[in-house]
Amino acid sequence: MKKLLISIVTLSLLASCGSGEQSEAEKAPANKEQFVTVYTHRHYESDQDIFKMFEEKTGIQVKVVNASADELIQKMKMEGVHSPADVLITVDAGRLSRAKDEGLLQSIESEILETSIPSHLQDRDNQWFAVTKRARIIAYAKDRVSLEDLSTYEDLVDEKWKGRILTRSSSNIYNQSLLASIIANNGEEAAKEWSAGIVANMARTPKGSDRDQVKAVVAGEGDIAIVNSYYIGRMLNSPDGEEVKTANQVGLFFPNQEGRGTHINVSGAGVAKHAPNKENAILFIEFLISEDAQRVFTEFNYEYPVLESVSPADQLIEWGTFKEDNLPLNQLGDNNKKAVLIFDETGWK
Amino acid sequence: MRQDGSNKDAFSFISRIKRLKRDINKWSVFTLIIVFFLALPIISIGIELFSGPGETWGHIVDYLLPEYVRNSLYLVVICSVLVLLLGISSAWFVSRYDFRFRKHIEWLLILPLAIPSYIVAYAYAGFFDYGGSLNLILNGLNLSFIRIDVMNRAGLAFILSISLFPYVYVSARAFFLNQANNLLEASKMLGVGERKTFFRLMLPLARPAIVAGLVLVLMEVLNDYGAASYFGVNTFTTGIFRSWFSLEEPETAVYLSALLILIIFALILFEKWQVRKVRFASSKSSNTSIQRRKPKSAFIWLIYFVVLTPIFLGFILPLGQLIYWAVITASSVFDMEFIMISIQSFIIAIVSAVITVIFALILIYFSKWSALRTIKSISRVGVLGYAIPGAVIAIGIMIPTLALDKWLIGFLQKFGIDSGLLINGTMIALFYAYAVRFLAVAYNPIDSTTLKVDDAIPDSSKMLGAGNIKTFFKIDFPLIKTGVFSAVILVFIDVLKELPLTLILKPYHVNTLAVKAFEYASDEMVMEASIPSLFIIFTAMIPVIFLNKLLIKK
Repeated sequence: MKKLLISIVTLSLLASCGSGEQSEAEKAPANKEQFVTVYTHRHYESDQDIFKMFEEKTGIQVKVVNASADELIQKMKMEGVHSPADVLITVDAGRLSRAKDEGLLQSIESEILETSIPSHLQDRDNQWFAVTKRARIIAYAKDRVSLEDLSTYEDLVDEKWKGRILTRSSSNIYNQSLLASIIANNGEEAAKEWSAGIVANMARTPKGSDRDQVKAVVAGEGDIAIVNSYYIGRMLNSPDGEEVKTANQVGLFFPNQEGRGTHINVSGAGVAKHAPNKENAILFIEFLISEDAQRVFTEFNYEYPVLESVSPADQLIEWGTFKEDNLPLNQLGDNNKKAVLIFDETGWK
Repeated sequence: MRQDGSNKDAFSFISRIKRLKRDINKWSVFTLIIVFFLALPIISIGIELFSGPGETWGHIVDYLLPEYVRNSLYLVVICSVLVLLLGISSAWFVSRYDFRFRKHIEWLLILPLAIPSYIVAYAYAGFFDYGGSLNLILNGLNLSFIRIDVMNRAGLAFILSISLFPYVYVSARAFFLNQANNLLEASKMLGVGERKTFFRLMLPLARPAIVAGLVLVLMEVLNDYGAASYFGVNTFTTGIFRSWFSLEEPETAVYLSALLILIIFALILFEKWQVRKVRFASSKSSNTSIQRRKPKSAFIWLIYFVVLTPIFLGFILPLGQLIYWAVITASSVFDMEFIMISIQSFIIAIVSAVITVIFALILIYFSKWSALRTIKSISRVGVLGYAIPGAVIAIGIMIPTLALDKWLIGFLQKFGIDSGLLINGTMIALFYAYAVRFLAVAYNPIDSTTLKVDDAIPDSSKMLGAGNIKTFFKIDFPLIKTGVFSAVILVFIDVLKELPLTLILKPYHVNTLAVKAFEYASDEMVMEASIPSLFIIFTAMIPVIFLNKLLIKK
């Protein structure tokens, strides 16, 4: 027994030494080698491909730390001046502007970023830049909803939608951003009435993912769902035949085309305040909006490119072009907390 | 009069100090150091409490807290009933009776633990969903589809129960295997029937072991985030995340965590209290293993039903759904890299399981050897980490280790060495975090086994001149090794599927299967998450089967 215990202890010591040596070994050449440390909330396979493309093109090694944006922000805050982070990537503008408010990002000068990204999609102080777009659209049951009935987000509180609306929890950042945009456009009081109106018209308590909302529409639990466009693109190209069938039974509607345009949210990136490799960080973000990277974002993830010269994936072209809400994204961050408080007060679970 | 009273107080205070001075020994000091080390992250969070909750606290109390309390209580009650039913009945039948495939069933009953509960939740939702597997099967049989909605509070309680009942099963079985035989023989000699023996004798005696398992289940139920948020059930833990992230108030999140810790502490005290009540009756380990009975032919079907139902619901059904998804996504997801990641995850899990179990053994035995009575209660502070959501623990780990790191950087700079962060972002921080988080998983099964060791044996060894350490390895360890091996298995599995801690603290070049599964699942690519999930299950099976053999061999 003693022998077993001793061997376990030795083994574990060996293993821990082993991992220690490994990290030492990787640290040593890193001094000579160029690298960039990326804290990212995006967990897509296609992003890995983009990082590899960047490594091949520049010889700069990409070190990825994956976690939710909130956790990454907290981590950067605690690490302070010693933080190894060079770039922060999130899946919404709200978190980026929060990182900016916490003093975690820095302003950068980049001709490429400033000129190629539309101005409402970048921070006013050049602390962060959007790299892809998604539209928050209405998915409707083709057999039960006529297109004339659909018009705006605001119209969804109408009596005619009672018991027909499906959407996910208010913990979800996409819903928070949508309500933040309504606060910015229509004011807090109107936003509160809107949230209460949606709750009154819900087909069920919010639960599940965006994909689940689409499935519930097809299953007949409700007739319309508020979801992100790229999830439907994913479902239409799913390896599961049933999911493709499901997605084919819903139509896509871009709300508010007559007025301010459909709400969009973005994935974006910024350079960390204490970035040890600032130059590489800028090169990296510039690469994210290069034509090659933009094409991967749209072809494999069904997101809209921010670069006008890159055309969206065929799937997206099929849905048609649409007018987008040009609200400066900073305002989504500014109104995020207000949005959450309104959700709670109006009982949006 | 008053003078008199204060004199008396002063006197009793002095005598207390004297007693303390007499009882304190090196073991007490070591215990205190280790407890401090393990509780440091929890203390760091606790200190934040004094700054009070953030400004939205009133908002939370008004709109959210009642729902959090209601849902958390509901889960605690329903899950308790379900895991006790599933865990005790299966443990008793596999320990008491002999039937075909019993040995396989014995370890199959542990495996539901190997699937992270949020993955079980996804699998169930996928199975019962519109266009899901059940739909397809029924269509194939030309039957009409009945949609069962599992995505609600009752469904969540069910899913947490079937994936967590093995905690109760493992500790109850360890008790039945170890010490049931003497009791069973005695009751047989007295002519007591089988049913009465179980309800009147075995069940009350197994209570400390069962409650130890139950406390683990409830801690895990209370800190579940993945499954609860997917099903849209708001609990304390989803509230912690909401106030931390959506409301941007870490201090409110900490405040809620502290409330959660208080609830858990109450549970632990309750357990201590009830164990003390029955301990007088607790029998000591028997030296012969249990004699299994051959059940009668009608009864055997009941046994199969009872032991196979939890295996089917907690393991086979979700596994089947995962395999189905894995088959349709294999071509796009599978990669040889998974083998490497599996090996990495295996090593990390086994090393941290051993480290954690060693910490648990040190705490339990040092406090035993310390003459100070209160040390034992203090050492229990170390187990609170299990009740706290992993992401919160990660913050608790980072507060003291970053302080140390910054000090080290300053210190080394004096010698002209530019070191960077030495602890954070390395395996040291991660192993430390796992030990803090999973100490309870190691502590509880070992502690309940040590209760059964008659102190007279180690005492006589010490009288014969053997020291504490020698006695431990020669006498105690062989007697408690069932508990120790169970603890290693449980911590191993927990580390293997651990997520939030690992994400925040892991070195960038380290990847685990749970992280891989999460990368897919977090972006609604649930089907693609099936392959790393299957690898988690297969990796978890290795020690379960291997250590289970050691457990039975005896």
